[in-house]
Amino acid sequence: MQIKRILIANRGEIAVRIMKTAKLMNIETIAVKTAVEPNAMYLSYADVIFDNTEDASEIPVFLNIERLIMIALETKANALHPGYGFLAENAYFAQKCVDNKLIFIGPSPDAIYKMGNKTVARQIAMAGGIPMAMGHAGNIANEEEAVIVAEKIGFPVIIKAASGGGGRGMRIVRKSEDMEKNFIIASKEAEKAFNDPSVFVEKYIENPKHIEFQILGDTKGNVIHLGERECSIQRKHQKLLEEAPSSALDDQLREKMGEMAVQIAKAVNYYSAGTVEFLLDSEKNFYFMEMNTRIQVEHPVTEEITGIDLIEQQIRVANGEELKFKQSDIKLTGWAIECRINAEDVQAGFAPDPGKIESIFMPTDSYVRVDTGVQANSSIVASYDSMIAKLIVKGKDRKDAIKNCKLALDKVWIKGTKTTLPFFRMLMRHQKFQDGTFTTAFIEKDLDKFYLNSEYEEMLAAWLATKLFIEENLSEDSINIDFEQGKEMSPWLLNKRINQF
Amino acid sequence: MAQDNLNIRKLYALSSENKRFCFSLPLKHNIRIGKREYEVQLKSDEKYGTYILWKNRKYPVEIIRSRQNKYEILFNDISYTFTVETPFSIQRMKVLSTTKGKAEKELIVAPMPGKIIDVLVREGSVVTRGEPVAILEAMKMQNEILSPVNGTVVKVSAKANTNVMKNDLLVEIKL
Repeated sequence: MQIKRILIANRGEIAVRIMKTAKLMNIETIAVKTAVEPNAMYLSYADVIFDNTEDASEIPVFLNIERLIMIALETKANALHPGYGFLAENAYFAQKCVDNKLIFIGPSPDAIYKMGNKTVARQIAMAGGIPMAMGHAGNIANEEEAVIVAEKIGFPVIIKAASGGGGRGMRIVRKSEDMEKNFIIASKEAEKAFNDPSVFVEKYIENPKHIEFQILGDTKGNVIHLGERECSIQRKHQKLLEEAPSSALDDQLREKMGEMAVQIAKAVNYYSAGTVEFLLDSEKNFYFMEMNTRIQVEHPVTEEITGIDLIEQQIRVANGEELKFKQSDIKLTGWAIECRINAEDVQAGFAPDPGKIESIFMPTDSYVRVDTGVQANSSIVASYDSMIAKLIVKGKDRKDAIKNCKLALDKVWIKGTKTTLPFFRMLMRHQKFQDGTFTTAFIEKDLDKFYLNSEYEEMLAAWLATKLFIEENLSEDSINIDFEQGKEMSPWLLNKRINQF
Repeated sequence: MAQDNLNIRKLYALSSENKRFCFSLPLKHNIRIGKREYEVQLKSDEKYGTYILWKNRKYPVEIIRSRQNKYEILFNDISYTFTVETPFSIQRMKVLSTTKGKAEKELIVAPMPGKIIDVLVREGSVVTRGEPVAILEAMKMQNEILSPVNGTVVKVSAKANTNVMKNDLLVEIKL
């Protein structure tokens, strides 16, 4: 093995995840200790800890290219794993690693660049005849042209700002008569928001499913796919639950989409792990969206149904090894579901709820896998994402996996912050989730409540409130306060209560 | 007063959705569901912290806030707000509700610490319930701050690109 020492340019659960596999492969790891999380769990998995707590730079270290390269050289790492997020899809960073003779555990800088640039990625897909929502390679000059393009790709269509993002300058058009008005508005909005009035027209896919394919390639030109993941349970493009495989695909469609995904990857000479994202409409038409050139948060569900360690494969490919399996060797067995347990308040529209984890116990059943970077006394800090743990549950089929997931969710114990657990407890019992007909619009359109509402639990909470009231107001040794007069509670009483709990 | 307390036979816990749970005094540690009674215990230990033991299952609980007779309780990751009332105070509430008017203004505060990305209203803007008034970024996520009421904006304290603490006033709305 050429790779001897890996600098983990990341934190949290993915840092732990990478180091676990590295340990199995007898490769040393280096983790970076930051001032924000000096006692983080991931540090305990590293062979070497680089102390970066004195770093006065304004850029967080995991985004600081020069500093990471410096750390790698100083600690004599000969490889670097970027994880996900931060610099994982930064082509310049990957190139910098190569320039400094560091093995970048990921795809080539060129592949990262091509897939990161939407226009280039689309041109590549279009040249390969991959179905796309985009009906036209370039911008649209005027409303007449927009009508022609829309009629060619079929209504409804969506007008998008070429320089845009975040929903601004977007207009859905359902018939030719509405085009003129909407085109002018969209163009004006685009000019106002992005200083660029150019817009383009895409097919608008109503209530699609988000289906993505896991790709694995080596530097010898072999590329295979490891089946799909369904990630339609998302809120504002933040995925909450992923599963593999998807109940929307049969073998025939899987083969067809998988082939397309491989074709896209091959077009940029892709190696390492990657993900090709598609939208799937209700008529089972699929459209290429984008390719992610990194290991994904939801990679464990694929690992669970294929038995392949994706981090190990990334390391082996980066080491120059050839893939040990062909497409025909890949068998999907069973079903896996991943719940992202985040420190968020589902009763306040999933608002982040940072804080200190006082206690955490995760189920240890054979059908459960937990990927986490958090333990008791860890803090969920506002500067990073709100993930506490990924609860990955297996079953022999989807029904079995849901049953197991329900059981596992009730065994998770987290105190200190509010979590997304009540959302998943509700989801497992929701008809539309159970029958698999949900789409990316599920959370916005099909739910009126984001959490499980149990009458018994509410009654027990009411019992507790009543008990507290009695202890504070009616018990013999309590101070009599006339709560109806609106007086504040005496500090003595508060102190007593704090001691009690 | 102490004498009065002894005469209270019942207490009501009213939820924020106006559900009423009635408990007779002295408070029992058994709750009847159908024909069976189940023991409910409030416990606390070093490993789990505070929890309720019911039907052989532990439920994490936390007392988030208590003010006068109002309690906010986190039970199994869901927060509930109750006001605990005596039969007497319930009676008094009924009288009060007919004589006292409603609040006239609504203060929208930051639900969490973060950075204001955008303020979407101005003084004099008419807002409807559920309409976003500001965008607050916290933990890499942009959160729309929605107006809980219909009304007119009378004051805007939030400024784009400034940091706010939890409970900082953002917008004041006249109903």
